[in-house]
Parts: sequence; structure tokens; C-alpha cells
Amino acid sequence: MEQEERARAERAERKVKKAAQLLLFRRHRTPGVKAWELKKALGDDYMEIIEILNSILLKLGMEVRRISEGEKSDNERFVVVLKDLMTDKASGLRIDDVAILSASLAYIISKQGKASRKSVEDFLAEKFPRRRVIRALERYIVQGYLREDENLLYIGWRTRVEVDSKTLMDLILTS
Amino acid sequence: MKAPEDILRLINFCKTIQRADTDPFDLDVKRFLTILSEYVRRWKSIDDLMLDAEAISELTKVIELQCKWIKDRSASFYIDPALVEFKLKLMEPAQLASAFFKAWHPIVSLDRITPERLKQGLDYWNALPPLSERKSAFGAASTPETGTLKLDDLIALHILSQTEFQEQIQQVLNELEARGRTEYYDFVYGDSFEDSVRKAYLTSYIVSEGKAELDIEPLEEKIFIYPRNGSRGQSGGSGGEDEDEDEEYPGEKRSIPIAISYEDWERWSKRREQGQSEQSGR
Repeated sequence: MEQEERARAERAERKVKKAAQLLLFRRHRTPGVKAWELKKALGDDYMEIIEILNSILLKLGMEVRRISEGEKSDNERFVVVLKDLMTDKASGLRIDDVAILSASLAYIISKQGKASRKSVEDFLAEKFPRRRVIRALERYIVQGYLREDENLLYIGWRTRVEVDSKTLMDLILTS
Repeated sequence: MKAPEDILRLINFCKTIQRADTDPFDLDVKRFLTILSEYVRRWKSIDDLMLDAEAISELTKVIELQCKWIKDRSASFYIDPALVEFKLKLMEPAQLASAFFKAWHPIVSLDRITPERLKQGLDYWNALPPLSERKSAFGAASTPETGTLKLDDLIALHILSQTEFQEQIQQVLNELEARGRTEYYDFVYGDSFEDSVRKAYLTSYIVSEGKAELDIEPLEEKIFIYPRNGSRGQSGGSGGEDEDEDEEYPGEKRSIPIAISYEDWERWSKRREQGQSEQSGR
């Protein structure tokens, strides 16, 4: 009985380690792991394993987040994000580029989630050279922070996962 | 009992809100219910009750829209865009970046190489033939020379036909000779913008070949075109000036760019239509 219990605990531990590696190390161009991949690698009880992993990651200031990409649960994607950002330097981004992203997101959010690309460019070009603005916007579209469709810019999947829009808008409005 | 007008009006208003997607809070729900309660004791026939039910049904649909409106606004953090724009303009890049960092929870994602992947890379390397062999198998990619195609080249490539092109130029020249000295845009602009561009292109050839001349009047901002052997002084004006120019620049060729645009062509079309309607009015 005791042996069975120990074997089960060891199995669970192995699965949690595997889940951590799947989630923390990039396997595709886009970060994150699809639900069906986790199910295949961890078994039907993959959600329980994710919950155990999440409780461990929370202690380290990280958490597992679920991104919905359709109605089916198999289309969901799981990523690990930093829950509390302890340092300003969590990327190699230049401060100007972060400012462009921040202003673009705030501008688009204030326009109910979509704005014409030209209006965003014109707005940003008041403070930054247009070439730089265009380059930065292209990069953020590729990275998933913004989404472009028929000359309209929307909030991208990555912003929905990584950015607390309410906090961002509160900070901007109370500045 | 005859259907009361105010009830019918309220039902119509509810339907308009649903149809036109206007602000659902334009409807005063409390007033709506007060009006309905005034009539409720007077309802007698089944038609009266049906009207009452329809009014309630339409009201619930509007309340549902009001609920959705509140949810949408709260979910999208409705804030006055003008206020946000104003704040963003005032903020320094460092402040914007700082706000972003406080709201940012970046994805933790690392790239790594595993021994298995290294082995796959090595196997691939071993199986890959040398570049020289792969080149010969697929044929070396040739880099086309870059250059400019001239009209003669296009004719040689059978993209354009010399006869057809010359015929088109001749047609434009014939028209110019028939019309005499005329304003450039009146000459090249036609019923469609595509035709206008084509005519401007052909006209540039007849001017370049010396079969037509241009008179530019900078003060009036007008350009006139006339056939070289034709009557340039037909409408008077600057005929003499151009002769002086010819003497001043004997044999010198000048390139004169003349812009045509869709917007300009549209304005020209409108002016022409107005002119035609004024003439027919008389």
C-alpha cells in the first residue's frame, strides 16, 4: 500500500518535471504548449499536473496562464508568465521601443480595441521618427503584441496574456 | 379598445434601438413601465393583451441590450480616448515604459539545445552532400542583370507593337491639330482616369518628338499645348513669349514634369459637368 503510494507520487513528480520543461522551454516559433500536446505528453489528468506545477511556480513568482484560441478546449494554449516583475530589465528592448509599445497599446485600448494603422503611426510620429515607429510596429505585430487586419491594428494575443491592460491604463491616467 | 398611440410609439422606439444599434439607454425604462401600468386596467380584449405583451417583450430586449452595453464598456475599460491621447502626449518615454513594466507579465520561454537535437543536427550534417554537388543537381541559380527597359526593348520583346503605338500617337496628334492651342489638362483629361493617364503618356511622346509644344504661364498656373506646325496664337496670350524662349535656348531640350492625379482628374470632371449643365440651362 505504502509502495503504491510512493510509486504514484514518483510518477506525479516525473510528470510535473516534464510539464515544467514543456512549458518553460520553447518548442515552436510561438511560445506555449497546446492543450492536446500536454494531454499527449502527460495523460488525461494533465490539468491536475498543471495545477501542481502552478502551485510550485507561484512560489517562484511565476504562474501558468491559459490562452483560449477557440471554442474547443483542445485549442487552448498554456504559457508560463512572470507574476511579479521584480526587475525593469526583463528584456533587451530599448526604452524608446517600450514607450512606443506602451503608447500604442493605450491608444488602441482607448479606441475600444481597434484603431487604423495610420492613426497609430501619426500619433506615435509626434514623438518618434516615423521610420522607427513603422519598424517597431512591424516587430510588435510579428511578436504578437499587436495584430493587423486590413489596415486596422488590434490588441494581439501576447498582450492579452502578458499585459494587465487595466493596470496600464490606470497608471497612464493617474500619471 | 383602440391601440393607444403612445404604446405603439414606444414599441417602435424599442425596435429602432435594436435595429439601428443606437444607445439603449435612450429609452427610459421607468417611464415605459409607468405608461404601461396606466393602461393595464383598461385592457379588455385579447388584442389589448397581445399589445401589452408585445410592449413588454420589446422592453426586455432593450434591457438586454442595456446589460450588454454595460458589460462591453466595463470589459473594454471604457475611457475617453481624447483624455488618453492627451495623457500619452504629456508623458515622457521613460514614464510610458515604466507604466508598461508595471503592467507587464512577460512569458517565460527559453531556447535550449538538447543532446538529442544535437545528434539530429550531426546526422543531418553527415547526410548532406557538399554544396558543389547540390548546385549541380539543381542547377546554379542565375542572377538576372538589372537594367532599364526602353520602348524599343518593349517592342523587341513583343510587349508593345511599333505600329500600334505609332498609330495611337498619331491619333493624339491629329486630335491636337484639330483642337489647336488648348489647355493641357483639358486636352489629356477624358471620361475615365485610365484613358487620361494613357493620353498623358502618349502626349509626352509627341512633345518629346517635337511635334507639339507647351506654353507654361506661371502666373495663371496654366499649361497650354499646341501642335508645332499649328496655330499657337489661337487663343491669344503667350504666343510670343515662347518664340523668345526658343531663341533664348536654341536647341536646348528641357524636361517638364507635369503631375496628374486622380483627385485632380475628379475635380476637372466635376468642373466640366458643371460647365455642361450651365450651358444646357441657357
